[in-house]
Amino acid sequence: MPPTSPDVPGRFLVSKGILRIDRFMTAAIRLGGLGIIIAVFGIFVFIVSQVLPLFRGAKVEETSAIPFAAGKAPLVFGIDEWAELPFYYEGGSEVTFVDATGAKPPQTLPLTLPGGAQVTAASYISADQLVVVGTADGQVGTFTVSYDAEFGDSGKRSIVPSVTIGEFYPVGTSGGSIRSVGYGDSGDSKVAAAVQESGGKLEVHAVLLRQKRSLMGSGKLTKEGAYDLTPLLTGAPLQLRVPRTGDSVLVTTAEGVVDYIFLGGDAPEKRQEFKPFGEGRKIGSIDLVFGDVSLVLTDDLGEMSIFSLLVPEGGEQRVFVKTKTLPNLAGPASFFARSQRNKLFLTGSGAQVSLRHSTTEQVRWEKTVGFEVKGAVIDAKCASFALLDSDGNLHRYSLDDPHPEAGWKAYFGKVWYEGATKPDYTWQSTSGTDDFEPKLSLRPLIHGTLKGTFWALFFAVPIALLAAVYTAQFLRVEVKRVVKPMMEIMASLPSVVLGFLAALWLAPIIESRVPSVFLTFAGVPLTAAVVGVAWSRLPAQHRARLRPGMEWVAFIPIMLVAAWIFWSLGPVLESWICVVRDASGNPVTDPATGRTVMDFRAWWPQATGTPFEQRNSLVVGIMMGFAVIPVIFTIAEDALSNVPASLTAASAALGASRWQTLRKVVLPIASSGIFSALMIGLGRAVGETMIVVMATGNTPVMDWNLFNGMRTLSANIATELPEAPVHSTLYRTLFLGALVLFALTFLLNTAAELLRHRLREKYKLV
Amino acid sequence: MAKDHPILTYSVKPPKGEAQVWLTAMGLAIGIVMVVGLLGLILKRGTDVFWPKRVVEIQLKEGGSLLGEIVLRQKNLKTGREEWLVHSGNKSKDDPGSAYRYVDTGEVTGTTEPAGVMKAKRMEYGDALFYPVNLTARDGASLRVSDAGFNEKLKALMKTGESERRQVEKLEKVEIGRINQKIQDLDNKIKVNPASAESLTAEKASLQAEYEKLAAQARGLHEALGKDILRCRLVGGEERDQAIGELIRIYEPNKLGFWSRLRTAISQFWDFLSEDPREANTEGGIFPAIFGTFVMTILMSAVVTPLGVIAAIYLREYARQGLLVQVVRISVNNLAGVPSIVFGVFGLGFFVYTIGSHVDEWFFSDALPTPTFGTGGILWASLTLALLTLPVVIVATEEALAAVPRGVREAALACGASKWQTIQRVVLPASAPGVLTGVILAMARGAGEVAPLMLVGVVKLAPALPLDTQAPFIHAERKFMHLGFHIFDVGFQSPDSLAAQPMVYATTLLLITLVVIMNLAAILLRNKLRKKYAAGTF
Repeated sequence: MPPTSPDVPGRFLVSKGILRIDRFMTAAIRLGGLGIIIAVFGIFVFIVSQVLPLFRGAKVEETSAIPFAAGKAPLVFGIDEWAELPFYYEGGSEVTFVDATGAKPPQTLPLTLPGGAQVTAASYISADQLVVVGTADGQVGTFTVSYDAEFGDSGKRSIVPSVTIGEFYPVGTSGGSIRSVGYGDSGDSKVAAAVQESGGKLEVHAVLLRQKRSLMGSGKLTKEGAYDLTPLLTGAPLQLRVPRTGDSVLVTTAEGVVDYIFLGGDAPEKRQEFKPFGEGRKIGSIDLVFGDVSLVLTDDLGEMSIFSLLVPEGGEQRVFVKTKTLPNLAGPASFFARSQRNKLFLTGSGAQVSLRHSTTEQVRWEKTVGFEVKGAVIDAKCASFALLDSDGNLHRYSLDDPHPEAGWKAYFGKVWYEGATKPDYTWQSTSGTDDFEPKLSLRPLIHGTLKGTFWALFFAVPIALLAAVYTAQFLRVEVKRVVKPMMEIMASLPSVVLGFLAALWLAPIIESRVPSVFLTFAGVPLTAAVVGVAWSRLPAQHRARLRPGMEWVAFIPIMLVAAWIFWSLGPVLESWICVVRDASGNPVTDPATGRTVMDFRAWWPQATGTPFEQRNSLVVGIMMGFAVIPVIFTIAEDALSNVPASLTAASAALGASRWQTLRKVVLPIASSGIFSALMIGLGRAVGETMIVVMATGNTPVMDWNLFNGMRTLSANIATELPEAPVHSTLYRTLFLGALVLFALTFLLNTAAELLRHRLREKYKLV
Repeated sequence: MAKDHPILTYSVKPPKGEAQVWLTAMGLAIGIVMVVGLLGLILKRGTDVFWPKRVVEIQLKEGGSLLGEIVLRQKNLKTGREEWLVHSGNKSKDDPGSAYRYVDTGEVTGTTEPAGVMKAKRMEYGDALFYPVNLTARDGASLRVSDAGFNEKLKALMKTGESERRQVEKLEKVEIGRINQKIQDLDNKIKVNPASAESLTAEKASLQAEYEKLAAQARGLHEALGKDILRCRLVGGEERDQAIGELIRIYEPNKLGFWSRLRTAISQFWDFLSEDPREANTEGGIFPAIFGTFVMTILMSAVVTPLGVIAAIYLREYARQGLLVQVVRISVNNLAGVPSIVFGVFGLGFFVYTIGSHVDEWFFSDALPTPTFGTGGILWASLTLALLTLPVVIVATEEALAAVPRGVREAALACGASKWQTIQRVVLPASAPGVLTGVILAMARGAGEVAPLMLVGVVKLAPALPLDTQAPFIHAERKFMHLGFHIFDVGFQSPDSLAAQPMVYATTLLLITLVVIMNLAAILLRNKLRKKYAAGTF
């Protein structure tokens, strides 16, 4: 406060300018400083904001309801990828398109069926925009409903539909009316199958077509065979499905059995019959999710299970095995629509509508609507779906579910992925095919992180702590001034350098000399112990030659010689233990040299059944140890040297040796500081990226094998994030990985800081 | 402590626990040996790259011989014999295999060091080792190796070759680059405003013609470069023609004495520092990587220093010291322990994809969908590293501020200085070395980081430097090269990893030297600072 009293001379007053500057700077620094600190913590908030959408359910909103097929009985209906121009087909000779925006009146396009046949059954394959129809006279055929976007002069988009008729094939008994049809097309083989009524009995027939492909394009479609599958069935056929693989037919029967009939061989063959729901239960519905290897089945009470094609352990052929159970529906599923992008499907019973995901067994969204649902369709972009009610109105819903495959279960639980023999923790985020099921378990990555950390600390902690103890308690002060910065320089070595040395220098050396490495690791401490014991037995006049605090200098040459001896002894040890044997247990002889093969690399997998890789945890452990040693050393050394000299002096005065002083006085006081050093070292090892990226094979495996690689959270981010599409599930999952790392290291460091704080209080007390 | 109590050490009965002391001595011994060994290894391998080695001709049992430098001698555990890694070079278009070969000493009958062998560094296919035979210049001159003036003529031809190569480079990089930029700008204009297409097409055509002219000129120079021929005999007797314009450096390694060897080494090291990389980064220099690292580090420090200092001043001088500030202080400290890759993730998500894509929408919509700032670049990389190193600067500055004795401040205030004047004139100057320590440590950390950079804009080969003579001179959106990433990339992604190793060791040596110097400087500064305050307290 500037004094305002008039009797203070002006020259004692602070000038207004200076006060103004002072006020301005105060405000600026307060604002700036606070802003910077808040911004720094914004990192955490931003990462969380990127991760949160993963754990949201689907957002579904009804956008409109339009009169669609009032008073008609559509056999199938479908929608274009922009969800603007749905169509329905009643079985006659025209397809009706209704403008969902209401801008234009409904239009019809003619459809000429061969021989003016009457359609009795139809199904819609949304991925190919293909309508499969079966006729009253026993033919199965297809027609395509395609949409083209045209842009007018004003750049406005209009959608122009067209209908193209495909081939028709007679199936089974001529003239038998077709009840239900199925069609699967893998490109070079196609299967058309139908349930046909013949003489009051239901029969199942299938036609197999093959298309030869050559460099010149696709060749002519030839009919490979027509089969009557009825004798293979367990009972009267109810429903029929043909997967896209175009090599099999699935039929449910009245007895509650699913028959899996394989057509890919020379003759139709029943590969499997299974009762998905136990005795006395009937099958309510059977449908295939995207990828066509998983079946969604419901029984007459609404119980829902998923069966997937896989080769069971010990089996040879792919059969359906129950992999998942989902929450029950209100009754047997009365409609089914699947996404063409992921494993989402929309199903329900009556007025209940449920959006589910097959990989994670999750119900993404569920609602009881005010009408009975007759049918459903999801558009190609999976951005909306439409439901048809019994009055012929079409209810359109917007669908926003960008990350259906995410969730706690997917990240941390065991998931039974398609094609796998059992539920497992798997990380495999991308693949070449569209219908790939992303496997996003973080468990193998967390495991890999812990594994790398464990081996690094295993190597680093003894060295760092012993060195810290010696430096703080025994080393001469003037030497310490040189030694400490040297160890600190080690902390500043860029991890890319350590990683490069690990992979291109250390890994090849270690690969061929594993026994030497072990011998040296065991031998050097042994030498130290022997030298120490021998030294302390020496007469005092000899001992007096070495000034206390210089033992480490004396030990360096001894250690180098010992290390060299043990290193050279490695091959000897190898020749005793690591004899490679063939299948009958006899030692293998190298044909080139005529000597018995004694190689650790070949022996390890034989002896333990676990693989041996060149870039393994041992290499990572040693090199990451390099990165961790200086961190632990510096902090532990600080904690040890800060123990008040009065205490150590008192201990020495009471006659304790320097080791006894350390053991009984210094260590107990500094223990929390040492512990905090370990935690900070742990944090450094957990987040280390480049060493792991370079020195391991980066395979996400889950074992503790020292001679196998791993993939850590950080390495996973570094390798996958540059290629991950923005805001995709993988992108957000990698952010989740980063969040886990952030939280983990932050907690470790905070704990360490609190411990050190306690330590400081302790020093104050004494 | 023990030396203060001699009775403990000199007592007749040995003190308890001396054996254990040796065990702890082992810890320190291992640590020191590890640091010294690692630095020594890098120093040895890194300098070896530039030191001209003797070239030996190795006669083999199976007949024939091999000409090369023995790079590595090691014991083969399988055969029990020594084996040599021989660098024989001489890759060519028809024979692109590896320039390295392992030779089992059991197969060797003898070695000689032929005096006449010549080693050449070439623009393509790495080194060549050969005996020169004769040369044919484009002016028709033809000289045999035994003729007088052969070496002088060869040197002269190489000199013209070099100047022609520089001309070509200038044509291709600068002039053609400028025309391409103009054509691209035109294309963008046409895309934004299709109506203007007609008027702009003529302009585009004239640019195109200019481009053709320059391209033809470059082609002509290229052809001229291939017209001076050096005929060389390889060790098997096969003769090859080598365009002299493709040669960068030649010397006769077996004729060099120590001083000329040293001169060659220094000049090769200079080339390494000043030239662009060749042959997928495995040959040539690393100038763009040095430059990229430098610019990024400077940009980073320019951001991190004011931010860190302001935050530290706020925390130490203005904020009310209490539990909250203590929590904030601990948290900031802990941020330094958060893995660098996390900052990379944040940089990619926030700077590149959030801010960058908005900047593109507002200012660079012409170029969309090609991103300008919506992809990694040197600006985003610098900002990311600035965030990463912010805790280092804040902590160091706070420590320095805290170390300024209370008495000094009180004296300033007593003289009538305002709070800001005290800080500005007294506290900040006193703590400047501390702040500088923090900034140097931050720079050392930033220069050595690779993991976050991989996400926000570092590339294996940047077409242009982030600073150049084309307006607007500073290209903050450009991708850049970095020493650390160069090590990762060349060591791991190159097809012939043996051929790449010398390059990686040399780069590693350079990076380590930089980082160690910066750290040593920081440590020295810190020590100086301590002394200063030790005198200042009362």
